[in-house]
Amino acid sequence: MAGSGTGGDHANYGGSSDGNPAAAAGQCSVREQDRFMPIANVIRIMRKVLPTHAKISDDAKETIQECVSEYISFITSEANERCQREQRKTITAEDVLWAMSKLGFDDYIEPLSLYLQRYRELEGDHRGSIRGEPLPTIRHRSPNPSTDVVPFFPQPPPPSFVVPPPSGPPHLNHLYGDGAGGYYYGMYGGGDGSGASTSQDPPMPGFDHSYAPYKQ
Amino acid sequence: MRQAGTYSAILMGGIAGRTGPHSLPLARIKKIMKRSGDDVKMISGEAPIVFSKACELFIEELTQRAWMVTLQGKRRTLHKEDVAAAVMATDIFDFLIQMVSDSNGGQMAPAAKSDSMVVER
Repeated sequence: MAGSGTGGDHANYGGSSDGNPAAAAGQCSVREQDRFMPIANVIRIMRKVLPTHAKISDDAKETIQECVSEYISFITSEANERCQREQRKTITAEDVLWAMSKLGFDDYIEPLSLYLQRYRELEGDHRGSIRGEPLPTIRHRSPNPSTDVVPFFPQPPPPSFVVPPPSGPPHLNHLYGDGAGGYYYGMYGGGDGSGASTSQDPPMPGFDHSYAPYKQ
Repeated sequence: MRQAGTYSAILMGGIAGRTGPHSLPLARIKKIMKRSGDDVKMISGEAPIVFSKACELFIEELTQRAWMVTLQGKRRTLHKEDVAAAVMATDIFDFLIQMVSDSNGGQMAPAAKSDSMVVER
């Protein structure tokens, strides 16, 4: 990554809550710790997928801890490049998802889109999605038309919200964890309003409904 | 209208049931995002949310793959070398190659891989 690590903590341009700067200042190795996810969290997640009897060496824990940070940087750089190309200042969730897909993590897209949808519904998506109207789609620039699919986020459900694809693929399953493809989401409209979205309905005909074949 | 009570309860069980709303601290994620480049300016509030889940998936995948290497070696302790082997064996983890070969004297003895890719340092 070019230019990483210079200058450390930037000013909080985003202006949103940044946890607890006062507490951070009180710790001695703040810079080191800020570079990684807390190891306890990392270990807990690891244990979710390991058998009970499995042991994890300390160096494995630390390695994975470092890999996570590398992953965040890797994806963020790609997302940031896209923002700059499109002359947007804010890296959005959609940018992150796009970058993940581009960099090969397209298996994550579906569960992440679901997760984001849930978050928006639970937390009250005052943060930026457009209520009450179909969200425009964004075509992302994949050179390959068969992968030209953008992760869509469901809009907050207005009372009459129904988006059935005309060809009637497997229904939308609201519950987490069972996406049987066929998701249609309105597009997140871009936080700073300048996004590269086109105001049109999701392109249904010819649209690749399921995520499974959504691979390059 | 959606039934906020029931619906939320279902969803809360699905997401928040285990470890709380987000497994990983959002502020920390945001800091790491900012460090990824000098020109990272603004980050929407939702981007770290996505990352908190994505990192979870990432850790799970990397751990599972590493554990498979551990098992191939008939061991029960997951070591850094197993993580390194999993990285080598997975295309999308190529960005980690340098990281897992660093600070280890170049010693990556993957348990069940063919030639060790000795990455020059």
